[in-house]
Amino acid sequence: MNQSVAQQELEVVSTPASARLSRVGVYLPSIIILIAAVIYGSISSPYFLDFSSLLVNTGRYVEIGLLALALTVVIINGDIDLSVASNLAVSAATMGLLAQSGVPIQIAALAALGVGLGLGAINAAFIVGLGLPSLVVTLATLALYRGLAQIMLGDSAVTDYPEEFIGADQASLLGETLRVPFPLVLFIGFALLFGFLLSRTNFGLACYLTGSNQQAARFSGIKTDRTRATAFLLCGLMAGTAAIMLTSRLGSTLSNVGLGLELLAITVVVLGGTDIFGGRGTILGTVIALFAVMAVRESLAISNVNGQVQDAVVGVILIAAIVVPLAVSRFRERRTLKKLR
Amino acid sequence: MRKVRRSAVLVAFAASSAMVLAACSGSDSSTEETAAETATEEAVVVEETAEEAPAEASGEALRVTYIPKNLGNPYFDAIVKGFQEAAPGLNMTVEVVAPAQAGATDQIPFIDAAIQQQVNAIAISPNDADALCPSLKRAMDAGITVLTVNGDTAPDCREASITPVDFSQLGKYLVDLTAQVTGGKGEWAFLSATSTAPDQNAWLKGADEYIASGASPAGLTLVDTVYGDDAPDKSATEAQALLTKYPNLAAINAPTTVGIAAAAQVLSQSPKKGKVQVTGLGTPNQMREFVKDGTVQKFALWDPALQGTIAAHLIAGLQAGTISAGEEVKFEVPGVGERIMAGKDRIIIAGPPQEFDASNIDNFDF
Repeated sequence: MNQSVAQQELEVVSTPASARLSRVGVYLPSIIILIAAVIYGSISSPYFLDFSSLLVNTGRYVEIGLLALALTVVIINGDIDLSVASNLAVSAATMGLLAQSGVPIQIAALAALGVGLGLGAINAAFIVGLGLPSLVVTLATLALYRGLAQIMLGDSAVTDYPEEFIGADQASLLGETLRVPFPLVLFIGFALLFGFLLSRTNFGLACYLTGSNQQAARFSGIKTDRTRATAFLLCGLMAGTAAIMLTSRLGSTLSNVGLGLELLAITVVVLGGTDIFGGRGTILGTVIALFAVMAVRESLAISNVNGQVQDAVVGVILIAAIVVPLAVSRFRERRTLKKLR
Repeated sequence: MRKVRRSAVLVAFAASSAMVLAACSGSDSSTEETAAETATEEAVVVEETAEEAPAEASGEALRVTYIPKNLGNPYFDAIVKGFQEAAPGLNMTVEVVAPAQAGATDQIPFIDAAIQQQVNAIAISPNDADALCPSLKRAMDAGITVLTVNGDTAPDCREASITPVDFSQLGKYLVDLTAQVTGGKGEWAFLSATSTAPDQNAWLKGADEYIASGASPAGLTLVDTVYGDDAPDKSATEAQALLTKYPNLAAINAPTTVGIAAAAQVLSQSPKKGKVQVTGLGTPNQMREFVKDGTVQKFALWDPALQGTIAAHLIAGLQAGTISAGEEVKFEVPGVGERIMAGKDRIIIAGPPQEFDASNIDNFDF
């Protein structure tokens, strides 16, 4: 009897069919939101389903998306990085100051990547090296890096970027007819890369195991420290990349650039089904969630809904998409446990 | 399976209720729009019966999006009012949308949405001079008329800019305003915002130059300039200190809305009420009680609504081809007068400073 209960439990946990089903269930909220928003947008405005405009508008979300990809890995590890947007600001400020002093833009952009990576390494050193909680460390570096950007730029804006760099993010690939903007292609490329990393490599496996149970993972020979540090480095690298994209899109740099972007990125990751406590999550979920958030925002904007109301609607949707399924699964879990007993 | 289905139903329900919520909040603007459309239809009918309908008025209504810095700000509401009062007569519908925060990039999604809606014109009170440029240029490339109102971007990102008042003459004007309320004689002091505020410093410098030139009223003596940092308590403390330090003070001039209200508050409870004049730049809603109780005789600002009126007429003219944006181009605004796109930056001064006193303050609500 006892054995059969254990078997039953084991089946619940590991049957491939049920695992696959619950994986689809994870994507379901964002897929429903995506579809509902597209339907709402096309009903409320004849201009919503303008494919070329929508493609151009992806540029604004791709920056959030780049941060969200790296954050997915960090969160699967059971960590968090709140400093990504501040890191982005320092990377952008570095790039701006270099460009201002006449350094070629390609080198300035490389420097932005370097600074992003460096600030990610500082996070990793504190968190993994000294064993401090990532929430506390990155809360501190959130303020520290933002302050650094403010010291670097003051109140002034850097605007002397070469003409060919400004709006380079709008360059379209795949010909004039389809006009797929470069940022979207870049994002899809990075998404495939991160997806491959997580699902097809030892590093990815190490991430899931670290996030599920760090100690158990360490005792079974997983290099948890290296896994977690790598994720923070990836986060820094993505912050640098997003800094370059954002600067090209805006053609200027202010010290408050990207303020609050970390919350939007974390929102996307969580909406995409990544467990905020680690151990579970997929890049596909993050990608779908990004486009779901975009569809909601864009459909509301095209219907002339004001900013405050947009924020409120996104809040309601988040509650619906995250809290409700969570509550349902808790309820089910409890019932299953009762039955097993 | 059951789990999936149940959560799907719940999510769908929540998503649809969110949509309903959005639709409800959007209904305000759509009723306004309908009202405006009805009004324009009527106007067209009248013109048709008169058989003198101008070509541009009989076509489709001009669709204009105005993007203020943020919403729920009476100052920008006044600009919107100027727009909406002029719109029906110009066969124009005006949508007003704004972000929740006044961050540098928060207006960009609204510009992008207006481009996607293929509106005829975008008027914007920009939150940043540089970050909006690429989006505004994209709008102009799409054939959309772009104006900046009450704030500006780089000149190549819009066709013309409407500024509330001639700020280069404001320093001189403040001295003359002090002369008006004091009868042209006595000691007076400036209560400014922060010592580093560029606009305040430009005005104070203008006032100094006017006084140094000898052309200013001879009986007035500027004895001090103090800074209240645009904080009500600090401004009140500084105003109180001025009263103590200069027993013969005739006037405090505060060219900041926070400073003037704080100084008026101090004076209204002081035995020197009526003896020391408070003037400067303030908003009617903040200053109404002090004008009514006799603390303040006269103060000034500008009429934000005028910027909306001029913008609406300029957009209509640019769209009809009767006005073309360019250096020193003059155009007529019915009921307002002739305005000029000054200099190569094409900056239009909406009007002279608007003075407020007991006789007219109730005509303004911002």
